[in-house]
Amino acid sequence: MEYLIHLGILFTIYAGLAVSLNLIVGYTGLLSVTQAAFYGIGAYTTAILMTDHGVNFFLSILIGILVSGLVSLFIGWILSRFKDDYYALVSFGFNIIVYSIFLNWQSLTRGPLGIPGINKPELFGIDFSRNINFLILTVIIMAAIYGVCAFIVHSSFGRVLKAIREDEKAISIFGYNTSTYKLVIFVISASIAAVCGSLFASYITFIDPSTFSLNESIFILAMIILGGLANLRGSLLGALFLILLPEILRFVGFPTDVAAQMRELVYGLILVLLMLYRPQGILGEYKL
Amino acid sequence: MDIIPQLVANSIIAGAFYALIALGFNLIYGTTKFFNLTHGVIAAIGGYTVFFLTTTFGWNIYASAVVGVFVAGLVGYLLEKSLYKQLRKRKASQMVFLVASLGAFTALQAVIAIIFSSQFQTLSIGSWDLQTFNIFGGIITVVQLVTLVSAIVIMIVLGIVMRWTMFGKAVEAISDEEEVAKVVGIHTNKIIGRVFFIGSAIAGLAGILIGLDTGLEPTMGMGLLLKGVIASIIGGIGNVYGGVLGAFLLGFIENFGIWKISGEWKDAIAFGVLIIFLLFRPQGILRK
Repeated sequence: MEYLIHLGILFTIYAGLAVSLNLIVGYTGLLSVTQAAFYGIGAYTTAILMTDHGVNFFLSILIGILVSGLVSLFIGWILSRFKDDYYALVSFGFNIIVYSIFLNWQSLTRGPLGIPGINKPELFGIDFSRNINFLILTVIIMAAIYGVCAFIVHSSFGRVLKAIREDEKAISIFGYNTSTYKLVIFVISASIAAVCGSLFASYITFIDPSTFSLNESIFILAMIILGGLANLRGSLLGALFLILLPEILRFVGFPTDVAAQMRELVYGLILVLLMLYRPQGILGEYKL
Repeated sequence: MDIIPQLVANSIIAGAFYALIALGFNLIYGTTKFFNLTHGVIAAIGGYTVFFLTTTFGWNIYASAVVGVFVAGLVGYLLEKSLYKQLRKRKASQMVFLVASLGAFTALQAVIAIIFSSQFQTLSIGSWDLQTFNIFGGIITVVQLVTLVSAIVIMIVLGIVMRWTMFGKAVEAISDEEEVAKVVGIHTNKIIGRVFFIGSAIAGLAGILIGLDTGLEPTMGMGLLLKGVIASIIGGIGNVYGGVLGAFLLGFIENFGIWKISGEWKDAIAFGVLIIFLLFRPQGILRK
């Protein structure tokens, strides 16, 4: 049971990451591969504030959103000058730069040693160090995130995003400032990723830079492409499948370390096969 | 002791390794116009083939190296035939190519890790390993000298082939417009297949030399690839000499950049340079 709760928590966190990335890649058509950077910024903000400064967990989430929002404003501003494959390449670059900062700004992040001993929150007398309570917390927050994303994509703002994806020139002739739209959705997505990071840090109680590398961004991208671009339910499906995959592989009988490699092998192959036979993913409404 | 000569030597050595990656990458990009993200892992395949032949069968290093280069070229050729050619047939967008090659990269890297474990491995050329030369106060090993010479020789040969042979002219035609090249009777798929073989074989050589110089890791591919991409872009993408020029420039910037700060920042510096170039001189130093 504990084990299922653990998987449930991981799934909800990744669902948040996937849904938020889908706003950029699926709905706006920008191939961003840097979601793990903002995930990490949220995680590190919570970890540092809670362990060194005794800040309340919920306040640290808000500060994480703020930090991630500011960083993403800068990154998004630079990214807005690029498109297609160059956009992807520059976003790779930002993930690697942010990762280098986690790894090398040792006085702040303790570098490769990571930050241990991050606490779980308490609210209204509910103790979230019990996993079942933490699961309820993550589910509530993820439901809120999903609601916000669903609201965005169905609003007139979301329709402009889709129009940018289909034909940026045409929509800009109608007087929409497309760079502003692209920047706003980038910042929203980064802020959501930061919330996921805060939850992850508090749940796992230990973070180090390796969780927030480029590979993690590729992993999140694989989730949304598998589940379906421009479909929020697809992102949940993709997250569920890729979270369960290593468990399935272990169940089949692979040892733990090989199971981790097998997961990479399987999702790599999934990406290749999808690009060949179904570029929009399982439930997707948009082809890359 | 004066540190400048060694810094210059290190910059040239790093530049030579990046140049070998950039030469193959740039050749493939120049012909097919997509970021072939499997290029780095193909270098790793070259290195690991040699590791396998020398440790399992006790082959001598030179014979293994020849086979390693051939295997790397073959893997690149097979990827082109089984994946990229199919995507071209489907008129896939550049983003689809990018994601497909990202998937192939992830899968191949996982295969290497499953077969050879994630451990760090080294290759050896026996007593030559310790032989060094002192050039104007900078120390350089035999392997590094071989790397530098190969990079320059391959650059010159490729330059001549591209300029003076029918093959070079066919590549040029495909690069300009594949459809037109087809119409005038060039067997485009055959030419592109050869381009993949040659480019990947050069990457394999780079992987073997890196295995001799520093060692092999399954995850080495991504770092190598990104350095090759950065070198190609800042030097002039699709241009044989541009890639090599960019590689040496990158080598110097990285090594002098970390003169005063920790070496761990290398990757961040490299991407910082890339982003600055893309913002202010996107066509690179040598325009194609």
